[in-house]
Amino acid sequence: MKLYEYAIRRILLMGLVLFGLSLFMFYLTRGFLPPSFALAPYITPRMNDAQKLALAQSLGVATKSCASFQAFSAFQQSCLVPVWAQYTQWLGNVLSGNWGYTLLPTAGPAAKTTTIFFSRFPFTAQLAVMGAILTILIGIPLGIVSATHNNKLPDHISRIVSLGGYSIPQFWFGYVLLIIFVLYARIGGLGLLPGSGSLATNCAICFANVVTPKAVTGAPILDGIISGNLHFAWDSFVAMILPAVTLSITSIGALTRIVRSSMLEVLRQDYILLAKSKGLQERVVIYRHALRNALLPAVTVAGLLTAFLFGGVVVIEIVFDLPGVGYTSLQAVNVFDINFVELYVLVTALIIVVTNLAVDIIYAKLDPRIRY
Amino acid sequence: MSETEPQIEARRSADLRLALHLFRKNPLVLVGLVLSVGSIVLALLSPFLVNSTSWQITHPLLKNCWNNPLFGWGNSNIAHDCSSSYVLGTDSYGRNLLTMIVLAIPVDLQIALEVVLSAVAIGIVFGATASYAGGIVDEVILRVTDIFLAVPGILLAIVFMVVFGRTLTVLTGAVLLIWWPTYVRLVRSQVLSEKERPYVESLRSIGAGRFRILFRHIVPNSIYPLLVQATLDIGSVILTVSALTFIGLSPSPLLPELGNLASLGSQYFFTAPWLIIFPGLTILLISLGFNLLGDGLRDILDPRLRR
Repeated sequence: MKLYEYAIRRILLMGLVLFGLSLFMFYLTRGFLPPSFALAPYITPRMNDAQKLALAQSLGVATKSCASFQAFSAFQQSCLVPVWAQYTQWLGNVLSGNWGYTLLPTAGPAAKTTTIFFSRFPFTAQLAVMGAILTILIGIPLGIVSATHNNKLPDHISRIVSLGGYSIPQFWFGYVLLIIFVLYARIGGLGLLPGSGSLATNCAICFANVVTPKAVTGAPILDGIISGNLHFAWDSFVAMILPAVTLSITSIGALTRIVRSSMLEVLRQDYILLAKSKGLQERVVIYRHALRNALLPAVTVAGLLTAFLFGGVVVIEIVFDLPGVGYTSLQAVNVFDINFVELYVLVTALIIVVTNLAVDIIYAKLDPRIRY
Repeated sequence: MSETEPQIEARRSADLRLALHLFRKNPLVLVGLVLSVGSIVLALLSPFLVNSTSWQITHPLLKNCWNNPLFGWGNSNIAHDCSSSYVLGTDSYGRNLLTMIVLAIPVDLQIALEVVLSAVAIGIVFGATASYAGGIVDEVILRVTDIFLAVPGILLAIVFMVVFGRTLTVLTGAVLLIWWPTYVRLVRSQVLSEKERPYVESLRSIGAGRFRILFRHIVPNSIYPLLVQATLDIGSVILTVSALTFIGLSPSPLLPELGNLASLGSQYFFTAPWLIIFPGLTILLISLGFNLLGDGLRDILDPRLRR
C-alpha cells in the first residue's frame, strides 16, 4: 500500500470515528433526556407556543402530527420522534453550522453556541499549546537523562518525578503552586505570580494597568504581540505560567517514561556498541546516534498527550479561573446546554484524530523501515 | 520431555525467591506496597475508627474551627474560635476534617476497585473475543474502542453524569466508560501474541474446544500484564474520580470523598490551605502507592526487564 492510499484509508476511518462519536453522544443525550432539552438551544425569547411547536417540528424533535406545544412538553406519544430520525435532522443542522443559541446565563440572550465556543477556544488552545511545549521541553531531556544514568541518582529522581506527575491530582497541584507562589513567595507585598484570571495585573513581576488590545486571534499572548502591546503579552504570559505547569505535569510524567524506555531499548542495540567501540564520544553516541531512533516511539504518543492536555484544561481552568472552553463547558453542563458540550467533545476529538493521523504519516516519513 | 512434579515445584519456588529478592532490592516497590496496602487496611478499618454516619451531620457552630496549637494555625489564620481543637481543623460544614478523610478513603477505593475490576472483565470478554474471532468482529470492536479513545475521558464522564444524574453508581459508570477500551485493547494484543504459541497448537490438536482454549489457557496466561495495568489504573481512577467530584459533579456536597473534600477546602485556600492540602495529599499518596506497586510488579513479572 502506498502512503497516500494509507492516508486516505485513515481519513475515512477518522470520519467513521467522529460519526460514531457523534452518534453515541446523540443517543446518550437524546435517548435519556426529555425532548425539551433538544429544543432549548434553539428557542429565542418572546417566542409563542405556536412558534415553538413549529420550531420543534422543523428541528425534527416533534412529529408533524403533534397537536400543540403543551402536548409536546407533556411528552405525548403522538409528538415523540424516534431518536434515529432526530439524528439525521440534527446532523444536517450541525454540519451546516447551526448549533443553536447557548443557554449560558453569562452569554446574554440569543448568543450563538458556535460564536461563544470559538471566541473562547483560542484561549484554551493557547493553554494546551503552552502545556505541550513544557511537556516536550521537560519530558524528553528528563527521559534521556534517566536512560543514560540507568539506576543511578538522576534516574531515580526522574522516575520519582515521572511517577509523581502521574499520581498527582492536577487540581491539587494547581492549588499547591498557588499557595507557594502567591501566598508565600511574596516580593514587596505582592505575590511572585498572579493568583487567578487570564491577565496578571497584581503580581511582583507583571506590569500594572495594561491596556487590553482588540481581540484578533482570541489568544491573549498572540493578540498582545500582534498589536505591539508587549506589556499585555507579558502579563498574559505570566498569568499562564502556573496553569501551564499544572496542566503539563501528567503528560511530562507520561512522556518521560516513554522516552526513558525507548532510549534504554536503543542503547542496548549493536550499532550503539559499535559507535562506542569506534571511540566516539558518549555525547555524540547519545545525541547523534541513539536519540533519533529513541524519539520515534515518543512521537506516536502525541495523540495521547493531546488528549491529556485537552482533558486536563477543564480542571485547570476551574482552579485558575480562566475564561476558556473547559470552564465554559462545565457552566454549560450545569444549565443542560448539551450542544455546547457536544461541540467541545467533537472539536477535541477532531483535534486528537487529526494529530494521530499526522503522527502516523510523519512516522512513516521519519522511519524508512515502515511500509504500509 | 516435560518436567516432573518436584522439578516444577522447585522451579516455582526459585521463581518466587527471585521475585522476593527483586522485591527487596527495589525500595520504591516496598513504599508502594506499604502505601497501597496501608490505604486498603485503613479503608477496611475506617468504620471501626470513626462514626460512619458522622459525615451526614453538619455543625453550623463548629464551622471553620482552625485553632490547632500543633500547627500554629490559631493565631494568624483563625476563622472561628472553638472550645475543642481538631487535628486538621473543621470544614465549612463544621465536620472534623480528619474524620472526613478517613471516611473518604473507602469511598474512593471502592469506586476505583469497581471500575478497574469491571474494566478487566469487559476487557477479557471483548478483547479475547475480538482477537480470537478476528475478521469483522475484531474490526467492529476495535473501531468502537477507537471512538472512546478519541475523546478526553473526563468530557465523556461529564456528559454521562449530566444525563444520568449525580449518584455514586453513575459516577462509577462514567469512569468505567473511560477505562474499558484500554483493557479491550490490552487483552486483545495479549491474546493475539499468545495464540501463536506452540501450546495452543498442541491443545487444538488434542481436540480442545475454542472456548476452552481461549478462557482456560490463553487468558490465564496473559493475566500478568493485565494485573500490572489494573494496579497502575487504581491510582489513575482515583485521580479521575476526585477530579470529577472536585469540579462539582459530586453526588452530594456533604459526601466524604477526597475530591469533594478538596473542593470544599478550595474555597478557603488562602486562609486555610490545609483544608485542601490534606485531602489532596491523601489522593496523591494512595495513587502514588498503587503506581509504585504496579511499576514494581511490572519489573518483577516481566523477565525481560529484570536485567
